[in-house]
Amino acid sequence: MIKHFAIGIVTLAVILSPWVTGGKYELHIATMVAIMGMLALSMNLMLRIGQLSMAHGAFMGLGAYTTALLCMKLNMPPVLAIVIAGLMVGLIAIVLGTIFLRIKGIYFVLLTYAFGEIINLIFQEWVSLFGGNNGLYGVPKLSAFGYRLTDPGTYYLLTVVFVAATYLLIRKIFRSNIGAILDSLEQDEPLSQSLGVNPLSWRIGVFAVSAMLASVAGSLYAFKIGFLSPQAFSFSLSVDLVVMNVVGGALSPIGPLLGALIIVPLPELLRSVKDYQLLCYGVVLLVFLVFFRDGLMGLIKKTQKAAI
Amino acid sequence: MIPLIEQIIVNGLLSGFAYIVMALGFTLIFGIMRMVNFAHGELYMIGAFTVLVFYGVLKLDFITSVILAIAVAVIVGALIERLLFRRFVGMELGGMIMSLALSIILQSLALIIFGPAERSVDRPFTGVWAIHHAVIAIDRAVVAMGSLIILAAFYTFLRYTRTGLAMQAVAQDRDTAGLMGVESNSIYLIAFAIGSGLAGVAGALMAPIYTISPYMGHLPLLKAFVVVILGGLGSVPGAVLGGLIIGLVESAFATLFNSTIALIASFVIVLLIIIVRPSGLLGKRQ
Repeated sequence: MIKHFAIGIVTLAVILSPWVTGGKYELHIATMVAIMGMLALSMNLMLRIGQLSMAHGAFMGLGAYTTALLCMKLNMPPVLAIVIAGLMVGLIAIVLGTIFLRIKGIYFVLLTYAFGEIINLIFQEWVSLFGGNNGLYGVPKLSAFGYRLTDPGTYYLLTVVFVAATYLLIRKIFRSNIGAILDSLEQDEPLSQSLGVNPLSWRIGVFAVSAMLASVAGSLYAFKIGFLSPQAFSFSLSVDLVVMNVVGGALSPIGPLLGALIIVPLPELLRSVKDYQLLCYGVVLLVFLVFFRDGLMGLIKKTQKAAI
Repeated sequence: MIPLIEQIIVNGLLSGFAYIVMALGFTLIFGIMRMVNFAHGELYMIGAFTVLVFYGVLKLDFITSVILAIAVAVIVGALIERLLFRRFVGMELGGMIMSLALSIILQSLALIIFGPAERSVDRPFTGVWAIHHAVIAIDRAVVAMGSLIILAAFYTFLRYTRTGLAMQAVAQDRDTAGLMGVESNSIYLIAFAIGSGLAGVAGALMAPIYTISPYMGHLPLLKAFVVVILGGLGSVPGAVLGGLIIGLVESAFATLFNSTIALIASFVIVLLIIIVRPSGLLGKRQ
């Protein structure tokens, strides 16, 4: 009980700290942590069924560009734009999933990789619609019910609400019967099939939900930054999401959040050693993969066990 | 119309051969170790940078530089197999993520050593041949011929040497091969080194044609993926067939439209093929 209380206090302190210190810069980083945390959670959903998706950068980008363009070109209300973009991306994932997930194993990674790269090329080359490498300027601020959300502090709290909802959703999924089914797909597919589970439709379902979450995170990103460029949604974003899961630990949904909390501010902290930033990043990832396979959450659990 | 078609076919074959060499290394490593190497593009990059150093800076001749590039890629490949990939055999997801980490590390090392600028080396061969209606740039033809020589050598190795046969045996059934006295660990090492050498030679041959930068491995890796999925993962003949098809498709669409549309077209063709044949044109049915 006291332990839960302490965890609650620490979480609340972490969430509120940038708001209290109130610096614009801290708020920006904190908002990015929340958005990336949401994306890392969506990737966690894929990793839990044993699939590595390299298309999540593209899904986020599709969500961001679609939302921005619906608002800018069709004057659509932002909330409606977020929903439509999410549904569109979910539909794309269902169509892709029926093709990509038919064969087990690594075809999925290779195909999502190719899909992600091609979507990014389209963002770059279709200049009249997406603005190309110069980017898409002038995304409006988020507004709903006649209220324009311009204050960075309020926007930050909104993203926290979204990431918390995503966290609760994923925790709920994995503590329910659905979670048991999904785990069984990863561990023993023939067995779960023999119990009447259709592995393909479950996989496609997870892929679609995960893609939709990435899309919504992309929408939040678009309203936050106000400017979209293809580089933000490249292959390396998908890799970052995997890194967050590996460093935090992919076995529980807290892991990816912890990963986002560490990885997102890292470039800011390593600014003085800019040339070695990418190298540090790769080496840290490798060290975790070789020595701490269950990430920080795994380490925490291990020390807890040792203490008992 | 006919000259255009001839030119499309010639261009398609020229780039197809280069794709084959890149895809072959990838599919070989997968076929034998069941591991996806996301750092395969970085071995291509290493090959190109070796040519930059020996041919561009130290002014050795081009052929020697290409041979040195193969040697460097083979050594790097053997090292990363021994130190990293071997630990992850049988762990599909972990192995893939590890190779992503390795790809980041190799890119950043190149970035630290050579900087982010795009570099180029002088073309060792210039000029064009005109054959019938088609025009062939000699440097592209050299790449294609180099690729053909490598393909022939690779085929001979796989078909007629004991090690080559042992590699095929491990690819088909590791346990049975083990019972026959084939040590899978040494086969892994050899396969990985050869696969890396193939990526290295592709990068070395392409170095004078494209610009050289730490991130140059990205696009060849993407093409290798597309070729390998089309031909069937782990299948050597599949990589050859896939490389030729993708080369021709890209050449046609790049001539008629542009290179982005060509890439999209080849992806769509791959999707259509795997809807009909999920394991690729020549892949093993699962």
